[in-house]
Amino acid sequence: MTDTPVRPDAPTDRQRVREQRPLSELAAEIPDTPRKRKVGPRARRILKHVLLIGFGLVMLYPLLWMLSSSFKPNEIIFREPGLIPTELDLTNYSQGWFALLHPFHHYLLNSAIVVLGSVLGNLISCSMAAYAFARLKFRGRPLWFAIMLMTIMLPIHVIIVPQYILFSSLEWINTFLPLIVPKLLATDAFFIFLMVQFFRGLPKELDEAARLDGCGHGRIFLRIMLPLSLPALATTAIFTFIWTWNDFFSQLIFLTDPEMYTVPIALRTFIDSTSASSWGPLFAMSIVSLVPIFFIFLFGQKYLVKGIATTGIK
Amino acid sequence: MSVIQEVAKTRGASRETRKGDGKAAAIFLAPWFIGLGLITAFPLLASLYLSFTDYSLLEAPNWIGLENYTEMFADPRWTKSLAVTFQYVFISVPLQLAAALGLAMVLDRGLRGLAFYRSVYYLPSLLGSSVAIALLWRQVFGADGLVNQVLAYFGIEGVGWVSHPDYALGTLMILNVWTFGAPMIIFLAGLRQIPTMYYEAASIDGASKLRQFFNITIPLLSPIIFFNLVLQLIGAFQTFTQAYIVSNGTGGPIDSTLFYTLYLYNEGFGSYNMGYASAMAWFLLLIVAGLTAVNFFASKFWVFYDD
Amino acid sequence: MRATTTRGRKRAAFIALTAAGALALGACSGDSGGPGGGGDDDGGSSESGDVEIRFSWWGSDDRHQTTQEIIALFEEKNPGITVVPDYTDWGGYWDKLATTVAGGDTPDVITHEERFIADYANRGVIADLESLDIDTAEIPESIVDSGRVDGTLYGLATGVNAYAMVADPQIFEEAGVEMPDDTSWTWDDFVQVSADLSEAAGDGVWGTQDIGFNEAGLNILARQKGQTLYNEDGSLGVDQETVAEFFQIGVDLQEAGGTPDASRTIEFQNAGPEGSLLGTNAGGMGIWWSNQLGALSDASGHELELLRVPGESEYERTGMYFKPAMFYAVSATTEHPEESAAFVDFLLNDPEVAQMQLTDRGLPSNLTVRESITDQLADADARVADFMADLEDEIVDGPPVPPNGAGDVQDIMINLNSEVLFGSMTPDEAAEAFLTQVADATEG
Repeated sequence: MTDTPVRPDAPTDRQRVREQRPLSELAAEIPDTPRKRKVGPRARRILKHVLLIGFGLVMLYPLLWMLSSSFKPNEIIFREPGLIPTELDLTNYSQGWFALLHPFHHYLLNSAIVVLGSVLGNLISCSMAAYAFARLKFRGRPLWFAIMLMTIMLPIHVIIVPQYILFSSLEWINTFLPLIVPKLLATDAFFIFLMVQFFRGLPKELDEAARLDGCGHGRIFLRIMLPLSLPALATTAIFTFIWTWNDFFSQLIFLTDPEMYTVPIALRTFIDSTSASSWGPLFAMSIVSLVPIFFIFLFGQKYLVKGIATTGIK
Repeated sequence: MSVIQEVAKTRGASRETRKGDGKAAAIFLAPWFIGLGLITAFPLLASLYLSFTDYSLLEAPNWIGLENYTEMFADPRWTKSLAVTFQYVFISVPLQLAAALGLAMVLDRGLRGLAFYRSVYYLPSLLGSSVAIALLWRQVFGADGLVNQVLAYFGIEGVGWVSHPDYALGTLMILNVWTFGAPMIIFLAGLRQIPTMYYEAASIDGASKLRQFFNITIPLLSPIIFFNLVLQLIGAFQTFTQAYIVSNGTGGPIDSTLFYTLYLYNEGFGSYNMGYASAMAWFLLLIVAGLTAVNFFASKFWVFYDD
Repeated sequence: MRATTTRGRKRAAFIALTAAGALALGACSGDSGGPGGGGDDDGGSSESGDVEIRFSWWGSDDRHQTTQEIIALFEEKNPGITVVPDYTDWGGYWDKLATTVAGGDTPDVITHEERFIADYANRGVIADLESLDIDTAEIPESIVDSGRVDGTLYGLATGVNAYAMVADPQIFEEAGVEMPDDTSWTWDDFVQVSADLSEAAGDGVWGTQDIGFNEAGLNILARQKGQTLYNEDGSLGVDQETVAEFFQIGVDLQEAGGTPDASRTIEFQNAGPEGSLLGTNAGGMGIWWSNQLGALSDASGHELELLRVPGESEYERTGMYFKPAMFYAVSATTEHPEESAAFVDFLLNDPEVAQMQLTDRGLPSNLTVRESITDQLADADARVADFMADLEDEIVDGPPVPPNGAGDVQDIMINLNSEVLFGSMTPDEAAEAFLTQVADATEG
């Protein structure tokens, strides 16, 4: 690409930085007004809405089908696969909730514990590692970075058995430890890399200025990088939440006692290819388990889009 | 703190930067190093060791040297699974990224109710690995599914797309594109990091929207595009759940959706050949690491960092 | 603490970080029982009070619930023994079982299946049940023998199923086609009836679901012709001609219009009982295990019937057989063999257990127990019991336990039958491939 990207000239003005201007002043230069787009004529806006809704409906068709089927008695889900249910029957919900050894909220609670631990762990440990990879110079950085990426290139199926042996020798099987502790130790390279990319996208002048202000790495990390990377942190939190919430395989292997089962394992117990399956309750409980993540997302997404453009430094 | 102290500290800090930040790096990377040493390294190395053994899971492993690897290269199903996976990766990853970027731009700003739209468009990704997905996909691409109902309206008779050897892989590619939520969100977050003043400046200069896209959005978003590309690639090579659920674990019909990882899983857990599965996994790692290295090398030419 | 020495050794091995050492110990160590259950006593001797055993099974929610009740009953009758449940669906079950075995945490009592039991028996994972105190007096010898691998008894059948034709009389009636006489029908008759039914029933309803995806059907045809899918020694006992003939039935059905097109066939095949041809009222027949009649009937809303597989009077002998629905097996390394045996004995012989689970784990293999529940069976279960009783005299013998690697054979079957149905292989080519691939999968 021959065109160099358009760069702002204001913050690169070293002279002014040397003047040791307070950070808040510097930050004030970063515009915090939302981008003013000329909103097109009304008709165009409406057309956009119509297209978005229409496309959304097509995309959501499978989900809507599941929602509608969750209101049908188990037997007629397949015989009458139409989208509009002929009757609104809530038995799948009540039945599904109490079909297993524990009521369904028991599994929701277990999942919530695992999820909370994982989210906290990933937020802290991955952002720390990412700061080191993005901003610190140390020997062997490219090599360590390569090793980090390599750790996510092996399919889970060949590492789960050695992992099991490891956790079993630590007597961690059937506890939430094998699911949470690795997150506290930054084993999720996906998020390290994600945050590295975001940190590198932040103007370096900011931390240089901070350094001249006398900040050490700890304070730069806490006061500048983290607040400015809210979208990356929100992404990490939301993704960790959703992926842990949906993760079936490792939870299946590491949790052996039904007491400890989480939502994905509980959902699987509704169906069995060798005998009768309770599709209705499965759909109903799938919807139930989607509700928390949908709302987490709905409320969390505003942090996703709080970019540098809208964040001030205090 | 006195002024002198502060100045001294500042000088110290800046000198430290020039020399490297070994000590700080050690602190920031401590959790990661501990995780690598205690949790990640052993299973990784164990699987490497197992790839040179005959390991049934039920008995202790037995060293057989390179036998798993030589057997692999002579295995027609292995070749098939590699072909299926490459086809899938190279078609569905670019499509998914394009869809994600496109929708991220549409859903970025300038319209009411975007929060709601974003959440709705993310919903399919929540379902992507659900056990119910096989059934839902049949509702869309089955012989009597939505697609064929629409086609029938136009007088075209479709086939059962999900279970036809010529089309089954295609439906899984669509399934992958359909779950574009994750890269879309990352793009959205990235778009928000581009200061609006660039666009304002460009608008004043009279640059067209298209030019703005190529001269501002793409370069400034390039670290994020790069991230998505690298990780979707790594992820796509390991595609498992959807193929497993939709094909009932067989990779059928006629091995048309026999993904590399699905075959590996069937060998390891279905046929109790965990040694062979480990060899497959390490070969996959070589491929993916190679492609990632190429990606990193190429990134020097199109990814712009602010440092 | 339970198994401290083993744990200690394992940890030492791990600290040494020799992968080989850790894995080998994992696979061989005599550790067992619930890894999370720390409530055991020190040595696992049965006199010293509380003992905890882990019982693993697969299934869906109904089975999980009844099994929990059964466990509660056992604990009530056997104070001092706690049974820790460990359950999941069929697919996840085998992954988890293999992993726990690899990690040295084998469940004490394991639910097993005939296609996998040889793999576990030959590798020393499960125990010789005759060395344990389990009463098998009420179980017919042929059923007990179905759990023998190379003469040693590794599994006791929970109950029996038969692979049989399921038919929907209502669909036949509505189409005006007469139900076939299952005592005399041949494979050709089956193709003919299916075609007639498709023809008469009109659009969207077919004669039968394809029958070629399960090796059990092939085994029945082979047995009818005096062969067998596997010999006692685990080698293949069926010739290429018979396998080709079996695949040909699918082609004939397709050509005569008795089955849907190939891709729709696979769709039905993957949809389980609920989404099957019979389950969705889209056809008149399908071949299933007898214990699935209930699920099929519920899904279809019709009163389905069991018929003998075609060809039972066509060739040398009858081919149908009683298949052990599941096995109970005991870990070879359990610290509580006596308690585990007591639990298996209870599961097999206690009439109250049967009252609870009825035919969910097959028609009970203990004949006294079976009789005690016969009059309580309703609807589909009753029809299964009647049907099985009718077969009792016709069935000659049972096939031997399938060899190591038999778990792969169904995948091979599904793959090759798809090739045949999509026309990319002739039945003869598929038969040849079948023999090579199965021989490959089951060697060693």
